[in-house]
Amino acid sequence: MSDLYERLKAYEGRPAFSGRGRDPVNAPMIRHWCEAMGDTGPAYAGAAPVAPPTMLQAWTLGGLGGGAAGRTDAYGALFALLDEAGCTAVVATDCEQEYVRPLRPGDVITFDGVIESVTPRKETRLGAGHFVTTRTEIRAGGELAGIHRFRILKYAPHPKPAGAPASPASPAPPAPSAAAARPRPVVNRDNAGFWEGVAEHRLLIQRCDACGRLRFPWLPGCGACGSPRWTAVPASGAGTVHSYVVMHHPLAPGFDGPYAVGLIELAEGVRMISNVTGVPPDRVRIGMPVSLDFVRADGQDLPVFRAAGPAEVTPRASRPPSGGGSRTSPSPGSPSPGSRPSDSRPSGSRPSDSPPPDSRPSDTPPPDTPPPNTELPPLTVPVTRTLIVAGALVSRDYQDVHHDPEAARAKGAPDIFMNILTTNGLVGRYLTDHFGPEAVLRKVAIRLGVPNYPGDTLVMTGTINSVCADERIAEVGITGTNSLGRHVTGTVTLSLPGERA
Amino acid sequence: MSARRSGALGGRAAVVGIGATDFGKDSGRSELALAAEAVRAALADAGLGPGDVDGMVTFTMDTSPEITVAQAAGIGELSFFSRVHYGGGAACATVLQAALAVASGLAEVVVCYRAFNERSGRRFGAGVARREPSAEGVALGWALPFGLLTPASWVAMAARRYLHVHGLTPEVFGHVAVTARRHAARNPAAYFHGRPITLADHAASRPIAEPLRLLDCCQETDGGQALVVTSLDRARALPHPPAVVVAAAQGAGRGQEQMTGFYRGEVARLPEAGVVARQLWGSSGLRPADIDAAILYDHFTPYVLMQLEEFGFCAPGGAGAFVAAGALPLNTHGGQLGEAYLHGMNGVAEAVRLLRGSSSNQVAGVRHVLVTAGTGVPTSGLILGADG
Repeated sequence: MSDLYERLKAYEGRPAFSGRGRDPVNAPMIRHWCEAMGDTGPAYAGAAPVAPPTMLQAWTLGGLGGGAAGRTDAYGALFALLDEAGCTAVVATDCEQEYVRPLRPGDVITFDGVIESVTPRKETRLGAGHFVTTRTEIRAGGELAGIHRFRILKYAPHPKPAGAPASPASPAPPAPSAAAARPRPVVNRDNAGFWEGVAEHRLLIQRCDACGRLRFPWLPGCGACGSPRWTAVPASGAGTVHSYVVMHHPLAPGFDGPYAVGLIELAEGVRMISNVTGVPPDRVRIGMPVSLDFVRADGQDLPVFRAAGPAEVTPRASRPPSGGGSRTSPSPGSPSPGSRPSDSRPSGSRPSDSPPPDSRPSDTPPPDTPPPNTELPPLTVPVTRTLIVAGALVSRDYQDVHHDPEAARAKGAPDIFMNILTTNGLVGRYLTDHFGPEAVLRKVAIRLGVPNYPGDTLVMTGTINSVCADERIAEVGITGTNSLGRHVTGTVTLSLPGERA
Repeated sequence: MSARRSGALGGRAAVVGIGATDFGKDSGRSELALAAEAVRAALADAGLGPGDVDGMVTFTMDTSPEITVAQAAGIGELSFFSRVHYGGGAACATVLQAALAVASGLAEVVVCYRAFNERSGRRFGAGVARREPSAEGVALGWALPFGLLTPASWVAMAARRYLHVHGLTPEVFGHVAVTARRHAARNPAAYFHGRPITLADHAASRPIAEPLRLLDCCQETDGGQALVVTSLDRARALPHPPAVVVAAAQGAGRGQEQMTGFYRGEVARLPEAGVVARQLWGSSGLRPADIDAAILYDHFTPYVLMQLEEFGFCAPGGAGAFVAAGALPLNTHGGQLGEAYLHGMNGVAEAVRLLRGSSSNQVAGVRHVLVTAGTGVPTSGLILGADG
């Protein structure tokens, strides 16, 4: 054991946080949170709302004026020791929350956290460093309301390439692996019109004025008849996967693999290379229908193709024979788990800075208890700049990398990125949207992967791992992917509506 | 295209010298030093000196200019110098250009060479994330922002389609890898000398760009290879039996791209290899059954199968079984998978050895050897034959 690690390890068991929430639980903060997350759960509105459980940590944070509220001297000393050792950067990697009782307006919050563990030095993609886990108990009126376990990586960032901004003096938040910029399109006079179309979220192909042949890639003459005259026409956006590759090694800059690259045959008959999104790379298939979408990566708009959503996520396992006894039978008219409309957008629609994602009408009846192995319909969330900033602020997280692009770039990220609390909130929303207002979150445990940058699209998928019929407790594995790869993986435990709920 | 014109070239020139450096991963010397060393070795093998040389041909990708290699190898005045484009597609075309120069009287002794530190220097397999906005850069640029920027990834796109169209599994690619490594295992010059592999090794190797695995990909090599071409008349006075240029051809298809042939016709085929094949068969009057051994460009296994199909050795989709059955001596030096990746030039040298009877995996009674060049790019091919 190294000398440094012995000194770090000595902090295990010492207090990390202790304090009182700046504000009691209150309806305006709940409303702001729900508006940012696009969460229309009826339990969080009305005359007697409860707070979304995933807000747990938000009630403990200091906000813009409160600084590092409640942070102990021991925690500060541990960070100083890691800073001295060169581990100046920090990134949140895991968040695990257990919800013991709902929080309601008027609840006065107190919290106490301990430094649960400090790992030996680990090599990571971001750089070498130590994982620090804290465990915080959150009380309402003195009564245990929830437990929040948080894991961060304090690390020494890899040296930046020449010409990159110098390391910030203050501890730097994530310099994600995807900080290396995605390769840029190669643009000259012959194909500038195509990329101008992309910037307007139109996919333009050329049509020969002489012979009428459609062509792609763009060229200043027709390969069929040689005519130099042509007109740019918009493609419908419909296509199929003609072939595809799953990239493992080496990963291109800006990607965190494996990722799928498709050769897309457009309905118009021409082909182009693009990414296939909306499904994990290993689920891409030749012949799969896809539709045009646009993402923004490293400040560049790109046309990508989204796999047709719900059709691809029909339940893997059929329902087990009935006779389970305690499982309630489907009520008439109740939708089956696979049939609920998802938020998948129509083809060609552009994610914009418009209001938060659509969500399920709140009057939809709760679905019946699904069997294990059922795949939930995906939830598609456009990662707008508005969502990232609003999500950070409603969780009282004023770290500049979540709202200030210049500050984010100075710290090595290509743009602002979503904070872990927003991801946590979206995961909670995904599950309660699906299972309905009667379902109650018991535990959300997530791990972050690649960052969510503005302009990307987050697609959440879930699979029911197990259902304890008697207790009506379901455990659901979730994955959220964006164009860079896996943004989040995790497990959610919730109690379902029913006689025993 | 004119078979008659190509036919006028056949039988006029021969490869009379072959020379290479060692094939390694960290040469410790410059690319120019490797080129000059290979050229000296090839001239010595031919029984000629630098004063005999009046022509030089290399690849546009080579970093050592003809004039500089000439200086470093003691070669004087040049009346012919030329370069061929499109990466490994140039390999057989360097001999084609040398033979053209010899046949037309522009030069009498032409040296073809290729040398690089492709492992310790610039590794092609790493891909290029940025391209100049030239016509060539734009053509490759369509795939860059989507993370498709390595040779393996470009080939994998065609390979996936090939498996789909013919209802095959990646094991068909394994037969190519196993064959190459079996030959390399017996070739002392091969990097993988003494290290054969099995189909199970192939299937268990790590994914690179699915469906391609590590053992579907050629090596990265530091080294150099040179060839000496002269007239058949002069060749007959030199120490080794001449490897006669029976036929030589270049080929590009309609809608041709460099490695990104995704936008034309069937992705699971190699039309440019078909263009070469039609010329070689047409000008020589030979057929696949007349070929005693083939050296097919193997930077990635799937394209070996597609070449066998384009050249008519078997039906589309049938090449995996054809290779597995050992129906044709193939890549007897171990190929670029097993011997070395020298942009196909070491394959031309192996064809010469087969005709001299000096291959490590010698085939009895070889009269005609087919050699091909880079696949997925504008390419070239040769039929080399025994004299008389």
